Amino acid sequence: MKRKFTCCAVFFVAGLSLHARSLPLRVVTTMSYLKYVAEQVGGDHVSVVALANPRQDPHYVTPTPRMNQIAYNADLFIEHGLNLDLWAKNVLDASGNPKIQPGSSGHLVATINVPVKELPTEVSRSWGDIHPQGNPHCWLDPFNIRIIAENVERRLIAVDPSNADAFARNYRAFIDRLDAAMFGEDLLKSVGPKAGDILTRKTRNDELIPWLQARHLTGRLGGWLAKAERLQGMPVITYHKTYVYFSERFGLNVIAELEDKPGIPPPPQRRDAVVEAARSSGVRVILNDNFYSREAADYVASKSDARVLLTYIDVGASPEVDTYEHLITYLVENILQAGR
Amino acid sequence: MLSSFSGAFMHFRFAFVFITLACFMCLPAYGQPSNDVKRELDSLRSQLDSLKALVATGITDEMLDKVAERLERRMQQLEEKIDASSRATTPIVFNPRTTAFLNFSARMDDRAVFDEEGIAEISNKMFLRSVELDLRAPVDPYAEGIIILAVEDEAGTGFALDPEEAYGIMKRLPILESAPLGLKLKVGKFRAPFGQNNRLHMHDLPWTTRPLVVSKFLGTEHGDFFESGYNPTGVDLDFFLPTIIPGTTAEMNIDMLRGGEIGLTQGHGGDQPAWLAHLTVSADWSNEHLLVLGASGYHNYGIATTSMVGVDVLYKWSPSERRDSRSFVVGGEAFSGWHAFPNSGLGTVTMTPTGWFGYIQYQLSYSLYAGIRVDRVEEPADESKRTQALSAYISYYTTEFLRIRVGVDHRQSDLQTLDELTTANLEINFVFGAHPTEPYWVNR
Repeated sequence: MKRKFTCCAVFFVAGLSLHARSLPLRVVTTMSYLKYVAEQVGGDHVSVVALANPRQDPHYVTPTPRMNQIAYNADLFIEHGLNLDLWAKNVLDASGNPKIQPGSSGHLVATINVPVKELPTEVSRSWGDIHPQGNPHCWLDPFNIRIIAENVERRLIAVDPSNADAFARNYRAFIDRLDAAMFGEDLLKSVGPKAGDILTRKTRNDELIPWLQARHLTGRLGGWLAKAERLQGMPVITYHKTYVYFSERFGLNVIAELEDKPGIPPPPQRRDAVVEAARSSGVRVILNDNFYSREAADYVASKSDARVLLTYIDVGASPEVDTYEHLITYLVENILQAGR
Repeated sequence: MLSSFSGAFMHFRFAFVFITLACFMCLPAYGQPSNDVKRELDSLRSQLDSLKALVATGITDEMLDKVAERLERRMQQLEEKIDASSRATTPIVFNPRTTAFLNFSARMDDRAVFDEEGIAEISNKMFLRSVELDLRAPVDPYAEGIIILAVEDEAGTGFALDPEEAYGIMKRLPILESAPLGLKLKVGKFRAPFGQNNRLHMHDLPWTTRPLVVSKFLGTEHGDFFESGYNPTGVDLDFFLPTIIPGTTAEMNIDMLRGGEIGLTQGHGGDQPAWLAHLTVSADWSNEHLLVLGASGYHNYGIATTSMVGVDVLYKWSPSERRDSRSFVVGGEAFSGWHAFPNSGLGTVTMTPTGWFGYIQYQLSYSLYAGIRVDRVEEPADESKRTQALSAYISYYTTEFLRIRVGVDHRQSDLQTLDELTTANLEINFVFGAHPTEPYWVNR
């Protein structure tokens, strides 16, 4: 009888531990693009929830009790950082989950090591709603997603080392997909091993085209970069400083922002100044994020040759941007079409 | 071939200049050049010399690529250093995050009005109603400290400095790494979770005055025009409860507080510790619709015994898109009190006052909000005397840091001093510093 009891207890404990091990890691992210990255890298070993609605302005999300409870159950919390999702602090505080507090392995700021642009030289509220750590919209440059995905991979391995191989494999596959979308499969094959890394480096240093020309590979360039060749130098106006990274990567020329100061709706005199800029630069497109009022953009469009393009900037904000790759494709193609 | 070498050389010159600049960008964060950065510079200089020598003697594309790759790695390392230094600043980062709130108000009344004690005349005057200094920082990996110091206008007779709130939150303990149900322990002086409104500070109110029931039942020194509410000293346990309805969240607060301080007692409070509980059940859909239902209970036993129950409801609609131009809030709270205290000559006196308020607010544009509030309350000291009020207001925000509000309220009351009183308030609220994100119960 005693032996039977011991046997049962051993099986019960073993069953429990097997069950525990087979449960996917519960990951909570602030934004949906981070959810997408975590799902790509984590695969079947993670279940991911994003707190913010991808259609809403990530600067201004009101933390709710539901978010707090979701975070309470999390094994890993991933926030964007760079003072974009400051509301994450409220969620972390209210979650009562010590595993995901800053300083714990279960807390990750995804944009660590991303080269940040527009670090302010003067930090003051008189400049509007500025970000002391630089412009936070870095996820719209696919090269930064490579860095973010690497950060996620490293942290998943730290939190769940038993699935390290799977995370590394998934990460590599995701990066390969991104590279193919960026440069085209044909070019990657022609360049050979480490093509993605080499081409990324060349692009970041503005050396890609001369490098391809020297190797007679120009015709093989595909993907977003090939499409974006027609975006080079295209003058655009944006509502907010959302497209600083995207523009640098794909060659757009941002003439002006509708906001005079970040976070503050444009006053009438600012609108008129932007109309002048649009006319003198021949702007054809005004990029207006879906969550900003398009009143000012419509005004400028009505007084110039520009047209307003309503844009989504997070994965899942509409069915056509259900993946990160589709988000960038959507932006490149729609800007191209609007600029014709 | 030579031209491609010189082109490549130009690139490396550019890379070298960039790296040098990057190194110097690192310097302010460190205060002075660190040995690491100096070593990096020396190494890059020597690489540049080698590269010059290679260009002079001839270099293949493969060699160039290798050198480029090595330099890229170095650059990436330096970028990471710059990133780290831009995020971590100087040791002042350990100082508490500080925010200051300044609330100015001017009122116009259609007759002479006195404060709650009936001593100071407050009609047709300007007041710096409150200046708050909010300091918060992690204490260590286990706790966080919050101090909110308030300088409050004493109905025009001077100012008083008080710790409006001063508490520590224990998130975990070395012996209990993960508390059950997400338990958080708050110790100190804090605005007690009786209903939703009491947790708000004056600068976060959507109106120019406190609801009458909050002011009269929970506590006030000078009336609803000045800072009011219940902020006792005690201990608060905050934890999640399991729910059976999918998509809902249940949160419970249980407090043990110093007794006798709540407004309902009118100075005849119990001498034993008071107990307070608040249950919140909430649901939100797509971060657009938020519904919060709450129930509160308070009990203080002693020479005098006080009990109070309350219910609160809040519905908030704020569309994901164009959140900056439209939103809608409706809510309200109702309290019912029971207070028994010994009175020489009358034996034990028992009072059972009730009161409630309800409000609606609509956002007209990015900057403009308008709303109305209805109040009805029975006097805690004499429940046969009732006051009701209708208030309307309009708020204009330049940003979340500056608000101008105009409100008008009209009262009818069994108290002669308040009956048919009409008051107009102009309020200007300044927020400066590291303003923390507002919780969901702040309805801008």
